[in-house]
Amino acid sequence: MTQIKANQLKRDMFVLYKNAPHMVLKCEFYFPGKGSAFARTRLKNVKTGNVYDYTYKSSESVEVVEVETTELQYLYQDGTTYHFMNPQTFEQHEVAEWVFDGKEKFLLPEAKMFFHSYEGEIIGVRFPPKVTVKVIEAASAVAGNSVNAPKKTVKIENGVEVLVPLFVKQGETIIVDTTTGEYVSRA
Amino acid sequence: MKTLQKLRENSQQWEKYWRREEVIETIRRFFKDNGFHEVEVPLLLPTVSTEPFLEVFRTELTNDQGKKWPAFLPSSPEFALKKLLSAGSGSIFTITKSFRNGEGRSSRHNPEFTILEWYTTPGDYWTVAGQFEQLMLQINRGKDKLRYQGKEYSLKTPWQRLSVAEAFTKYAGVEVESMLDEAKLKEIGKQKGYLVTAKTTWEEIWNQIFANEIEPKLGQTGPTILYDYPTAQAALAKKAKDPRFAERWELYLAGMELGNCFSELTDYREQETRCKADLAERKKLGKTEYPMDREFIEALKLGMPPTGGIAVGVDRLVALFTDVLAVSETLFFPVEELFDKRNTI
Repeated sequence: MTQIKANQLKRDMFVLYKNAPHMVLKCEFYFPGKGSAFARTRLKNVKTGNVYDYTYKSSESVEVVEVETTELQYLYQDGTTYHFMNPQTFEQHEVAEWVFDGKEKFLLPEAKMFFHSYEGEIIGVRFPPKVTVKVIEAASAVAGNSVNAPKKTVKIENGVEVLVPLFVKQGETIIVDTTTGEYVSRA
Repeated sequence: MKTLQKLRENSQQWEKYWRREEVIETIRRFFKDNGFHEVEVPLLLPTVSTEPFLEVFRTELTNDQGKKWPAFLPSSPEFALKKLLSAGSGSIFTITKSFRNGEGRSSRHNPEFTILEWYTTPGDYWTVAGQFEQLMLQINRGKDKLRYQGKEYSLKTPWQRLSVAEAFTKYAGVEVESMLDEAKLKEIGKQKGYLVTAKTTWEEIWNQIFANEIEPKLGQTGPTILYDYPTAQAALAKKAKDPRFAERWELYLAGMELGNCFSELTDYREQETRCKADLAERKKLGKTEYPMDREFIEALKLGMPPTGGIAVGVDRLVALFTDVLAVSETLFFPVEELFDKRNTI
């Protein structure tokens, strides 16, 4: 097991907190009025999905959990479970919805991405920060809203709505940021 | 996407920056209407205030003869303002830049930040509390309801006042005698599951209990004034009636620490002792060293009137009133856009 100082914690790391593996969702430097430094974290229990806030002394040692990382390919969705396959071994894996943290709406057919697993269970994903998607529905430029925000809403492949500049047309492919859900550029 | 690009692409993005302008203008008007003078303070100094845990920016002043002086950017305008108070300025305020170096990533800090400090004389920390209440209402355009990140807060006065001792009992189940006692507090910390070693200090475990168990409970429906800190936590404040505590309060609202207020310490001997202790602590912690500001001590010696003073983070205040999470969103040029992480030396 590797130990690191709490001030080296970063988002998406896995650590042992109260003897259970947790993913670091957020880690911020914290400086109370007159005092030493602390690391303020938000941790997600990777077995239950429960989220906790915890503030470490920045010099405190934290145990890093060794996770396995494998690339898997998306197959299909079944309720809140998502099925993936290892393209090398053809082994199938189930992934709980919370693992995607809201990004599941950007899962495209056959998409490949890296997953982290711990004791055989998938506990985290390196979701692509950007996806290239097709615009399936777009009204032509809406007049009257062009002074303050020259943008319009379009629908992309999996039915998600994205705010785009007026020049984007139906049938075009665009790049969308999966963290913010915002339009980045034309593909 | 960089701020400039966002501004170019979406003119609505300007709104929060114009609100920032309005917040600062309102602060200025508030203090001028209440008989304060606005003063300017230097940003290049031969020595700066002594807080042991704050790291400073160090540079050099050079002249045409090649002479050099060590120079520093201040972490607060406090000493300069107190010198003016001692010289007889009367109530004053400043809105200026201050600097803190060596800090980690945080949505609530920028190494260069805008700070408001005001000193009211004659007055103490409760005089300042009343002024802060009125100032916040004025910034909120006279309304007492404030929406921030989807939650509603009431700015209705008087704000909740809670002593540190009460807060420790109420939220952490720690009685005052244990809170002030290093051995007892470390034992309690251990029982609570915090890492406590021989090296852990009272200050660390005190702050860790505070950060984990108390702070999340403060300022949840409206501002909380948390007052009377253990003397060790208030280097520049006057002692309270109970001498184990000092007259300091901090304002908490919506998960943010917005201001740090003192009944200012005016006793020069006590101030000198605390500055020396701070500088020794800085040395121990390996922080940048600089001499004690003798002029500050001399000024106090000549007599500083009874004063209540406060430091308020303007960037956080703006974040609150523009309903954004990170202070970087209230700045045109946040540090992470100026200093590319690939260009480290």
